[in-house]
Amino acid sequence: MDFSIRAANLEDCKDIARMIMELAEYEKVSEHVKVTQKDLEQDGFSKNPFFHGIVAEVPEAQRTKDGHVKIGYALYFLSYSSWKGRCVYMEDLYVMPEFRGKGIGKALMSKVAQLGMAAGCTQLNFTVLDWNKASLDFYAAQGCSDVTASLGYHVMRCEGAERGEAWPNTIEDRQ
Amino acid sequence: MFKLRKAEPRDVPDILRLIKELAKYEEMEDRVLLTEKDLLEDGFGEHPFYQCILAEWQEEQSNEEPRVIGFAMYYFTYDPWTGKLLYLEDFFVVEEFRGKGIGSEILKLLSHLAMKTRCGSMHFIVAEDNRSSIEFYKRRGAEDLSKEEGWRLFRFDKDSILKMAAPAEE
Repeated sequence: MDFSIRAANLEDCKDIARMIMELAEYEKVSEHVKVTQKDLEQDGFSKNPFFHGIVAEVPEAQRTKDGHVKIGYALYFLSYSSWKGRCVYMEDLYVMPEFRGKGIGKALMSKVAQLGMAAGCTQLNFTVLDWNKASLDFYAAQGCSDVTASLGYHVMRCEGAERGEAWPNTIEDRQ
Repeated sequence: MFKLRKAEPRDVPDILRLIKELAKYEEMEDRVLLTEKDLLEDGFGEHPFYQCILAEWQEEQSNEEPRVIGFAMYYFTYDPWTGKLLYLEDFFVVEEFRGKGIGSEILKLLSHLAMKTRCGSMHFIVAEDNRSSIEFYKRRGAEDLSKEEGWRLFRFDKDSILKMAAPAEE
C-alpha cells in the first residue's frame, strides 16, 4: 500500500481532531474529549507549541468511503527525565481500522523516533491501557519495556482547575 | 524559615545534588546519568526542556548563605482530550526539613502556575511501593490512573529508538 508520512501542519487539525475522537471511541472514553480543532490549532501551531503532530496520508485512489486521505496520526512532545535528560513522549498513535496491518503505525512511530533522536532524546515513553491487547502486542513486537511492571510506576493525576477549584486539595498536611 | 524561588543557571549544582538525593531515596541512585552541563544546557538554553522551583532555608537571624533544601522539576505536556497539562517530573524536600509545610507550599505554587497556563490537571509518576508519597498525594486529591483506569507506562530505550528510526527495508 502506498502511503506517506509527514509532519502535521495547521490544515491537518480538522482531520487530527476527527481521528482523536475515533481513538477515544476505540478506548471507550469519547465523552472525555473536550479539545476542539481550534484548541489544536492554537496549542500545536503557535510560537511555543505544546505538542507536535505527524500525519499518514494515502493517495486519492485509496481514500475512505467518507473521502478521507489522512488516515493515521501521532502526537508527541519533548519531555525530560531527571535521570537521563531529554525524552520524547508519544501521546497518541492511531491508524484508521481499514488501514491497519500495512506498516503505517510502525512508520508513524519510526518518524517520532527519528525526530526525537534529532532533538537529542534517549528515551521514548508512552502509555497503553492494560486491556488493549492489540496495541500491547504491537508495541511488544517493537522491543519496548513495561515500566509499570518493571519499576512499579503508577501514572497519577491531580485535576480540578477546569472546575475552578483550588487544587490540589487544600487539606492541610499533618505537621 | 523558607522561601520559594525560580531556579537560575547558578543553581544547577544544587539541582543535580537534589536529583541524586531523590534517586537515592527511591533506591535508584546509579540510574542518574545527567551531568551539570546537561542540566545547564537543557534548562537554561534557548528551548528549555524543564523548569525548576527551589526551596531555600535560612536560619533566623543568621548571616549564613541560604541553603537549597527542596525542589520541583516540571514541564508542560499535552492531552489531546483535555488540553494542556503540567507534568511534575521530580519533587523532593530534604528529610530534616519535611513536616514544615514546604512540600505543600511548592504544590500550591505549582497549582497556581498550572492555572495561570490554563492546564486542566497535573500528572506525575509514583512508584507503587512509595507508600508515604502516595498517601501525601492522595490526601490532596490525586487519582492513581494506573490502578483506576489501567494505564501502563511503556518505554523504548536508546537502542530501540535507534532501530525504530532506521529507514524501513523495502
